[in-house]
Amino acid sequence: MLRNPLLLKEFRQRMRTWRAPFVICGYFCAMFAFTLFLLHENVQGQLTLLLPSRSEQVFVTLSLVQLLVAAFLAPAFAAGAISGERERRTLVVLLSTPLSALGILIGKILSSSALLALLLAVSLPLYSLVFLFGGAVPGEVVAVFAFQLFTLVLIAAISVCWSTLALRSGWSTVVSYATVAVMVVLTGVLGYGLQLVAAHDPVEYFLVIWGKCLLELNPLWVEAALAGAVPASPHAWLWFALAYSSVCCILAVPSVLRLRPQALSFLPWRPRAEERDYH
Amino acid sequence: MIQTDHLSKWYGRVAAVKDLNLYVRRGTILGLVGENGAGKTTTLSILATLTTPTSGRAYVNGYEVSRQPQGVRRSIGYMPDSFGVYDDIRVEEYLTFYAECYRVPRRLTQARCKEYLDWVGLWEHRDKYVNNLSRGMQQRLEIARCLMHDPPVLILDEPTSGLDPRSRIEVRGVLAKLRELGKTMLISSHILHELSEVADEIGILRGGELVALAALDVVLSHSSAYRSLWVEATADVRTWARLLEGDPRVLDYRVEPDGVELSFAGTVEQQADLLARLVRSGLAVRQFAERPTDLEALYLRLTEQREAT
Repeated sequence: MLRNPLLLKEFRQRMRTWRAPFVICGYFCAMFAFTLFLLHENVQGQLTLLLPSRSEQVFVTLSLVQLLVAAFLAPAFAAGAISGERERRTLVVLLSTPLSALGILIGKILSSSALLALLLAVSLPLYSLVFLFGGAVPGEVVAVFAFQLFTLVLIAAISVCWSTLALRSGWSTVVSYATVAVMVVLTGVLGYGLQLVAAHDPVEYFLVIWGKCLLELNPLWVEAALAGAVPASPHAWLWFALAYSSVCCILAVPSVLRLRPQALSFLPWRPRAEERDYH
Repeated sequence: MIQTDHLSKWYGRVAAVKDLNLYVRRGTILGLVGENGAGKTTTLSILATLTTPTSGRAYVNGYEVSRQPQGVRRSIGYMPDSFGVYDDIRVEEYLTFYAECYRVPRRLTQARCKEYLDWVGLWEHRDKYVNNLSRGMQQRLEIARCLMHDPPVLILDEPTSGLDPRSRIEVRGVLAKLRELGKTMLISSHILHELSEVADEIGILRGGELVALAALDVVLSHSSAYRSLWVEATADVRTWARLLEGDPRVLDYRVEPDGVELSFAGTVEQQADLLARLVRSGLAVRQFAERPTDLEALYLRLTEQREAT
């Protein structure tokens, strides 16, 4: 997978300019300042720094902010991955090579999420500050970091699929951000709202179940659950992963057909692809 | 090497390609000629596996384009008529990227980069960014890119389109050199004399149909069925041009300020008879010359015949 030509090209193109280290340093400094601010706010007026329960809040806040940044930046990198190639008229040459449609999609997903993954990785040392004050265990940090990477790749995958299906980068960007808004905002507001209603009327089991299901589709909620900040079932992340992986798989089918209309040529009843104006 | 068998492509009710039968033997170069919308790009796009045919079959290097597209892609170097390049990537890296797409072994990639960049005259520019090259240079780079995986078949769609005269000459030079490689090639163009310098065979497309397909010399010999003549006389051209009317061998004529250009369907003797008749009618003929019939004229004649039928 790491020998994917698109990924190697992305590294060559993006990582050699001064922009990449500048962005990484800038992000790290910003997150460092933010962490210091959180710690300062936590200990202000206290006699002791060692307050594990409040340090846990720092850890949760920091990781949620990181996830939010990753979730809203991922479409910016990925939503033009294929439609941008089409607009630059480089897609037609790429499609004339033996790269498979899945290879192209995977290459684009990995290359568009590589820089953001690096941003998440470089901010890992900040968690050591939280360890210093207690409140988080390494297992939680690993789980949270893995979940952030997974969510990042997931959003990049959905955005790349939209980018393949939409003819213009503008449209794919709009649809990708709408998808992120549904994932992050709509599920959270609806889920939390349903749970609030259910709290007043506990007999409504339907509301409890739907509220729980919607919240478990919200990446911020799942991450907070992994950090132990909210009550949730131990395998809340599994439902999240299954649901959104299914969305990716469903979107991947028309995306593959869009790139390679012959993909289903072995079927006698194959659908007719209308590829005019796509390349 | 390249074969199409009753190939058709319909977009709704519009036929881009209709019942096309082509055959290109190994090592030969077929030039595909046609005006805009004739179906050249669609045909080439089907052969490059980018477009699926509505009916019929196409084979490249023994692979069927719809059912064995990967085999086709490995066998061809395809240059589209309109292409873009990546920003922030150097010439050598550009070729390396496509070599990686074709899984060319790394030990071969560098050697081929050197060989083909040298070949298209871009070795000195290997460290430049691709988007900073001139259009002509990018076009030559694309030809080098097509050769990186050493395919037996090259499909070049209008390789000189959109170029200034100097770049066109440079690219034409590269196309002429491609002959030396002995590859099977399918080149489309609407500039006919370019193809006459490169192609072994010429296919003429119109409205998605193949109007003519023959070896270049056969096509040119067919064109001798009529001659293009240029006649100049001292008298006012509008008065004596009427003398040509009623002659069944004069297919048509065009009056120009200095003289008349006419299409003459007849033998050399009949041509001499025409001159004698003009002189007998008291016309002081200053010039009576045969003009070379180029492919453009032949193309127009063939496509007009097709339209008439």
